[in-house]
Amino acid sequence: MVRRGITRRRLLAAGGCTLAASVVLGAGRAPRLAAIDWAMYETAQALGHAPVAAAELIRLRRETALPPAPGTVDLGLRGAPNLEALSLVAPDLVLSSNYYGFIEAQLERIAPVFSRDLFIPGEAPLPRVEAALTALADRIGDPAAGQGALDTYLSALQDLATRARPFTDRPVCLVQIGDARHVQVFGVDSLFGGALSRLGLANAWPEGTRFGFNAPVPIERLADVPDARIVIAGEIPLAARRDIARGALWNALPAVAGGRVIQLPNGNPFGGAPSAQRFAARLVAALEAAA
Amino acid sequence: MRRLALWGPLAGLLALSLWMLAAVQQLPLADWPVVPYDPAGMTLDQILLAFGAMPRGMVALLVGAALGLAGALMQAVLRNPLADPTTLGLQAGAQLALVAATLLAPGLLAFGRGPVALAGAALASGTVLALAARRGFAPVTVTISGMLVGLLCAAIATALTLSRGEYLLSLVIWNGGALTQQDWSGAAILAAVLLPALALALLMARPLLLLSLGGEGARALGLPAMPLRLAALAVAVVLSATVAAEVGLVGFVGLAAPAIARRLGARTIRQRLLLATLAGALLLSLTDSALMLLAAAGGPVLPSGALTGLIGGPLLIALLPRLRATVPPETEAGDRPAPRARHPRRVLLVLAVLLPVLSLATLMAGRGLGGWGLLDPALRETFLPLRATALLASLAAGALLAGSGAILQKLTANPLAAPEVLGVTGGASLGYASAIFALPSPGALELALGAGGGAALALLALSAYALRAEMAPARLLLAGLAIGALSSAVLAAIMASGDMRAWAVLGWLSGSAARATPLGAAALTVLALLLAAGGMLAGRWLQILPLGGAVAGALGVPVTAVRLALILGAGLATGAASVLVGPVSFIGLMAPHIARSLGLTRPRDFLAGAMLTGALLMGLAAFGARSLAYPYDLPLGLFATLIGAPWLFAGLMRRT
Repeated sequence: MVRRGITRRRLLAAGGCTLAASVVLGAGRAPRLAAIDWAMYETAQALGHAPVAAAELIRLRRETALPPAPGTVDLGLRGAPNLEALSLVAPDLVLSSNYYGFIEAQLERIAPVFSRDLFIPGEAPLPRVEAALTALADRIGDPAAGQGALDTYLSALQDLATRARPFTDRPVCLVQIGDARHVQVFGVDSLFGGALSRLGLANAWPEGTRFGFNAPVPIERLADVPDARIVIAGEIPLAARRDIARGALWNALPAVAGGRVIQLPNGNPFGGAPSAQRFAARLVAALEAAA
Repeated sequence: MRRLALWGPLAGLLALSLWMLAAVQQLPLADWPVVPYDPAGMTLDQILLAFGAMPRGMVALLVGAALGLAGALMQAVLRNPLADPTTLGLQAGAQLALVAATLLAPGLLAFGRGPVALAGAALASGTVLALAARRGFAPVTVTISGMLVGLLCAAIATALTLSRGEYLLSLVIWNGGALTQQDWSGAAILAAVLLPALALALLMARPLLLLSLGGEGARALGLPAMPLRLAALAVAVVLSATVAAEVGLVGFVGLAAPAIARRLGARTIRQRLLLATLAGALLLSLTDSALMLLAAAGGPVLPSGALTGLIGGPLLIALLPRLRATVPPETEAGDRPAPRARHPRRVLLVLAVLLPVLSLATLMAGRGLGGWGLLDPALRETFLPLRATALLASLAAGALLAGSGAILQKLTANPLAAPEVLGVTGGASLGYASAIFALPSPGALELALGAGGGAALALLALSAYALRAEMAPARLLLAGLAIGALSSAVLAAIMASGDMRAWAVLGWLSGSAARATPLGAAALTVLALLLAAGGMLAGRWLQILPLGGAVAGALGVPVTAVRLALILGAGLATGAASVLVGPVSFIGLMAPHIARSLGLTRPRDFLAGAMLTGALLMGLAAFGARSLAYPYDLPLGLFATLIGAPWLFAGLMRRT
């Protein structure tokens, strides 16, 4: 688009080629991938085909389990990606998901789109993101990478499940704190909820995921699951920390009073298989540390 | 006042029994804890009641009372039935402060949201009052300044958020109005603010009554009009800021409660203040108890703030026919009519020349991976079609919104009329959200149909109402506001129980020109041209209608038919623009203002000037939105606000 942009683009292309050369590939040139969806981004990363561009790179860097390589191009917002930036990247394939179905026509103007239905309310997303590993590998002509990544992932989860066995005595209630009075809850139809069942731990929350824009579940609802361990899957917002520490209700919750609260660092609840694996590893480590 | 003797105790009894019903479902009366409550010796169920349901019931009453009182005070001061606690831009100010603190200085939030939100609200209202002070707190000026400050704050907060790749905005917008409590601290803070505020308000009631005779009359009686207005507004500001900090956004109570008070026959200001406080408290308490019962019965958990709009909207519409609520015709001191340009055609010519110049510049220049610069010739083939589509859609949408606003302002003789006020964009948003939530993965056509259908429905409801109420302009505006509030309440409720699909809604709500398709851009352009042609034909009517229905009828204008046609035209224009570029905001308010201050006063000049200005504003906005935070596309409507609002501020200041 701009005169100086061309040299920069060459530089990026060169960087992409070096990166691609370092990966064992079945056929010729590695495809240039651009990821709109973060779960798809992680899937490509896990396959060893790092996307040359991704949406919302600033936040992605903080939240993803597999950080982007230096030189990855930012495509702007996931819901409104910058089409000019996308066409400058000249991708061979754009990775998207059902969330961004409404802009697929615009993406198709620039490159073919690989999209899968990943997160659907009421359905477990983990099998879907796992299936995306092999599906994407097949699509870019590197099925061996797909099988390899899936095997590594499954055996890692297997090991974690063995380590988690001592903690199957209690169900787990997975939450994120919104403010001092509300939480978000991960049900069985969430990525983290799926990881939980892969570990052999029961999810205490009987309903679907409640992960809206706001934190939709009042804290008092946590009294409905008195036996559970409460796992806070992410940092507590600064504004809520003081109030929650003083709150009569929070402190009266059986899990809080019994010292059964575990806090994990921020993750990517809408990521791919790598994020599920990282969550499982962090959870097991935290459970072992608390025991 | 006799109605009050009947309805007051009845409503109070109903509110109390609803709350008791919800509370007893939670814990049988026999097991209730005894005062004083000490969590150490209580069962979990008792704690849930004593530190959950009880303070929640109290907070519902207090928040409702605070908003009702704030609304009544503001309406008394501004003598404007459309005034409510959001008019002074407090909510937006508080939000901006919270966003800025979270992004730039998170340490400030360690003491809770309260102080930060209060500071933001105070700063925003201070700005509004400073602007308004230059014109002796003239009601219209205060309202316009408040809306502008609110818009500006919202635009900055969103730009700040989106340019850093965050969706924090959503948290700030939607995490509002849930009254859930987990101790008594919220109730204590609200009570500590409400009680002195109520005492102060009652002390001011008599002077405010004198003030309602008009600035001149009060001055003749030796009343210090300005300090009095300032003090009353300050009380309202503190009240609403406290609510914003404690529970977030609770819509419509501040607007509905004073209306109920008037409907119940409150004549004096003192009666209105007291009754509005009471009505607000009962309204919110009823809403919240009903929600608690709904949740206890296994229904969805909804924030009360989202739902007050549901109750408040229809209530207001029902109250309107009996409401003698008109904007006082008194001309404010210093409110001179805008100067008429000596050569309006020349002004229009300049605008018409500016349009292609701007278009060419934004097509060729821009920002890419390497920084600012001109379009590389090698890239023209790929980029020009993308940019031209977005530009054409933006220009047409800007012209449509501005034309719609110009028509509505002439029609209602109210400078605050704007498409958003008619509730059409609210209906469109609702339709769009329904399409997203009802269909598994909707395409562009389904979404366009959804939004268009929503806009049409809102328009139909408005037209049906307008016909029945003989289309008195002030009522039309109130009805439109009610429809808009109803839509946004439903939307908030959908989003509250929603999930990631809400992102798509949010993405559209902020508007993006890049999403326009070539076909859509062409359709918008045709519509804009049609609107311009229709407006030119209706020029004479637009000149006569502001004189009032009686005068227009006497001059042989078929008043009802013409008004209906103009409303439908304006509504369709707004709906079409918002389907393709999102419900971009306030071009329809700003462009006509700018056209007027350029001296374009005759209807045809005014309309043409407004449409050209709207197109220019939106073209500039589209350019800025795509370039400023590259590669992050900033919201188009908010960027338009950022460009246009300072212009309007300048105009407001200069006319002193």
